[in-house]
Amino acid sequence: MIKNKLKQDMRVIGDVTLFTKDTFYCMLSRPFYLGRFLEQIIHLGIESLSITIVIGIVTGLVMTLQFGYGLEKFGGTLYVPAIVSLSLMRELAPIFTSLLIAGRIGSGISAEIGAMKVSQQIDAIRALGTNPMRVLVVPRVLASILSLPLLATLSAFMGILGGLTIANIEFNMTPGFYVNKVLSTIKLSDVFGSMAKCAFFGLVISILACFRGFETKDGTKGVGSSAKWVVVRTSIIILISDFFLSKILILIFD
Amino acid sequence: MQKILEVKNVFKNFGFKKVHNGVSFDLNLGETIGLLGPSGTGKSVLLRSIIGLEEIDDGEILYHHQRIDNLTEVELYKIRTRISYSFQNGALFDSDSVFENVAYPLFEHTKLNELEIEQKVMNVLRIINLEGAKDLMPSDLSGGMQKRVGLARAMILNPEILLYDEPTAGLDPSNVELVIDVMKKFKEQGISGILVTHDIPTALRICDRILILKDGVINFNGTTEEFENSNDSFVKTFLKYE
Ligand SMILES: Nc1ncnc2c1ncn2[C@@H]1O[C@H](COP(=O)(O)OP(=O)(O)OP(=O)(O)O)[C@@H](O)[C@H]1O
Ligand SMILES: [Mg+2]
Repeated sequence: MIKNKLKQDMRVIGDVTLFTKDTFYCMLSRPFYLGRFLEQIIHLGIESLSITIVIGIVTGLVMTLQFGYGLEKFGGTLYVPAIVSLSLMRELAPIFTSLLIAGRIGSGISAEIGAMKVSQQIDAIRALGTNPMRVLVVPRVLASILSLPLLATLSAFMGILGGLTIANIEFNMTPGFYVNKVLSTIKLSDVFGSMAKCAFFGLVISILACFRGFETKDGTKGVGSSAKWVVVRTSIIILISDFFLSKILILIFD
Repeated sequence: MQKILEVKNVFKNFGFKKVHNGVSFDLNLGETIGLLGPSGTGKSVLLRSIIGLEEIDDGEILYHHQRIDNLTEVELYKIRTRISYSFQNGALFDSDSVFENVAYPLFEHTKLNELEIEQKVMNVLRIINLEGAKDLMPSDLSGGMQKRVGLARAMILNPEILLYDEPTAGLDPSNVELVIDVMKKFKEQGISGILVTHDIPTALRICDRILILKDGVINFNGTTEEFENSNDSFVKTFLKYE
């Protein structure tokens, strides 16, 4: 029983690896569907803007409030900008944004492709002499590799702005002081490190979602269970790989 | 007569389910053959196997005397612009309009400009009597309309062979006539075809030969006259049953 399950999981890992290889091959060779790619940028990136902004601001507000009052007791309020901005930039914004996108986009992609699979539209793409990898997968994977880092950075930025507001209102910190502290804390390597992590998460989310979409069977019920499969797996992978990626980034940059 | 497609001793199972058990037949240039058989005997699977959407387990499929059953998916893309499959359920892209669906192969495989594509698509939509549906989405069409759009999409590249999967099922009589006219027109242009259908009168009007697929093999293969006059008990029950 357990052995079978393990065998099955190993097979999925192998299949996903091959799928990723195919995707990169198609990504790096022609034809490339620019129109479909831009469509996905709008769909995956632009349409996620409002929710990422909200998440960013709220996280910034809450963190500043909590750390502000927490550190006030020890006279450490002036460390708040550094703590808030660094944790937002390095961890909270990338993780929150990625988990959110995993739910929003991961399930969306797998449901969409899964529905196309069960209604034979994927077969139709093949029957019309075109490659579903190029038509469906590459635009989605590229769009999410590109959008996720930008969304997360925006989210971190909004969070830092939110922090500024609270620091000013609740703790009488001048915006100039706050901004100065932030700028002297956050290095360019933090921004790029966070973006690199998010690009990886974007790859994981979109690849798993597309892969599972293609594997969808059993009609409408299969479409639903594919979406669930993707959200659960990608969330776990994001959380676990974040630890290792953070460790690597610290080794490289600190 | 010149053979354009040869199916030789094809075997296909899905797990324990045996579908094809040594299917063999030829398609001659310019000929249309009718493929009949009870529901679930593997007629659609056979058409799908011909263009490589299903992998066969054993046997050979030849197109212009070249094997195509062992080609890779990428090599098959080219073949599939020459052998076109019109899906049983239409299989339209449901987030694209009727126009976009029919134009898809032209955008992919030709260098025509937008205006030429528009003219070509409108011309084909006129033929299948769906000019007015150009901007509708597939979900706004009836099953019969979807099927005709699927047929339009399959024929727009002027393939050499058209595989029709029950093109007249679920259509009203006037649209059945229309689809028959379309198929006749293709035949006059020298395009070969395999027509899978349960509609025997239609098959008799269009086809040069009739094949019956039963129990995983081609059970009957003869001209339309031979089919109508056959004494074979199965053909007779089949004629009556249908
Ligand atoms: N992907 C698949 N997996 C498992 N079994 C399949 C698959 N596709 C088809 N089959 C089985 O193969 C058999 C033949 O199916 P097919 O669709 O070719 O029938 P058909 O002759 O076209 O029937 P109909 O006239 O009803 O369209 C069926 O019994 C079906 O259950
Ligand atoms: Mg069928």
